Amino acid sequence: MNTIEDKSLPALDQVLILAPYRKDADYLGRLLAEHEINVRAGARIDDLARMLHPSPGVLVATHEALTPDALATVAAHLETQPSWAEMPIVVLLDRASRPDQVRAELGRVWPRARLLFYQRPVTAVELVSGVQSALLVRLRQRDVRDHIAQEVELRRELNHRVKNILASVTSIFEMTRRGATSIDAFADDFRGRLGALDKVHSAVFHSEGDTVSIAEIAELTFDPYRLSGMDRIVANGPPVTLSREAGTTLALCLHELTTNAIKYGALSHPDGRVQFAWNLSQDETPELAISWKESGGPDVEEPSRAGYGTRYVRSALAGMFGQKPVIAFEADGLRCEARGVFSRVAGNQ
Amino acid sequence: MSETNSPSPMRILYIEDNPLIAFHVEQMIEDLGHVFAGSLDSFAELQKQFASLEMDGALVDIDLADGATGPQAAAWLQERGIPAIFVTGQRQVAAEHGDVSLGTITKPVSSSELAAKLELFR
Repeated sequence: MNTIEDKSLPALDQVLILAPYRKDADYLGRLLAEHEINVRAGARIDDLARMLHPSPGVLVATHEALTPDALATVAAHLETQPSWAEMPIVVLLDRASRPDQVRAELGRVWPRARLLFYQRPVTAVELVSGVQSALLVRLRQRDVRDHIAQEVELRRELNHRVKNILASVTSIFEMTRRGATSIDAFADDFRGRLGALDKVHSAVFHSEGDTVSIAEIAELTFDPYRLSGMDRIVANGPPVTLSREAGTTLALCLHELTTNAIKYGALSHPDGRVQFAWNLSQDETPELAISWKESGGPDVEEPSRAGYGTRYVRSALAGMFGQKPVIAFEADGLRCEARGVFSRVAGNQ
Repeated sequence: MSETNSPSPMRILYIEDNPLIAFHVEQMIEDLGHVFAGSLDSFAELQKQFASLEMDGALVDIDLADGATGPQAAAWLQERGIPAIFVTGQRQVAAEHGDVSLGTITKPVSSSELAAKLELFR
């Protein structure tokens, strides 16, 4: 899984020591550092707000440090923390104090802290393991924070994709409407195009890497027609993986070519065939070439005005490859060829 | 189809990363009697292809294949004497960059708004 590497988010792995007596601060700092704990010693009460600013992982405070000012400063800091945060605070109580009283008081002023109490004298082992487990608690909180950040990012991306799909559907709707001769023809064409969009979306989703192979696109486009007894479409080529965008464009183009062939082209005739092939050149900058060739269909005549399908295929392949495709109405069947630099359409591997 | 009675056709470039929208707008531009100068999906692609393109104006989406680079692309075109119009659903972002565009066409694009706004390129 991806981790959020946002430098602006604190690592929450540092222990801040708040001890007014220099000797205590030094001792605690040394002890924790010896156990490979990332420690920041020497926080002074008048400087506490600044030291708390890049949220520490754990705060360790001696009893003497708990002045009204310090309590208020820490409380103000806790107040600004997001809901997933519950800073662990390790309090080293005086030998003579009454823990219940202090616990009640701190629980009141620091409601959003996770308090741990030790009464001095405390053994090094006890203190170190207490701080270590407090740090672990804090790192679990950090995981929650990172998951939340990731979810926010995913939601933003999802919103972008949904809007994009709706814009695509709107365009398909408008274009289909413009070319439609009847409401039934409109419904059939619109349903078919949405179906093609839906299938390639599913294929990209299941591939996990936001990519889709040409063989898969060919299969999902041609399969429904094969089931209805049309096994006259032959598709072959090496394994080639396309980006989501290029895959979607190719799927929609193949859909248009296929439905066009069924209505007017080779597949409208019992002996007609279609050969769909693709190839990747072995140059330093590989080129992808795709070709669609119909044969054995009815006599071909170039239509006086290109229909939606042809215009779409021409424009979409030009956009996809960065150069215009060849669409030729040859005597024995339609031929469509396109090529371009592979890196432009490649799925990231 | 609505044809404009404009004096002369203009060559319009479209910078848009959704190929279906690009195609739809291409058809509308041609139906209006103008010439479609091509579609590009990113600011990077614009910089690469610019020398080989001829245009009187450019339609520019805000979010492109290389990020929210539409305003940069419009500013870059302005420096080269090519006027731009934003085509976007993000009217506010477009308005913030009003200094590099002649206006904004709202998505989804309607033929009547497109026809009217393209006249700003004259």
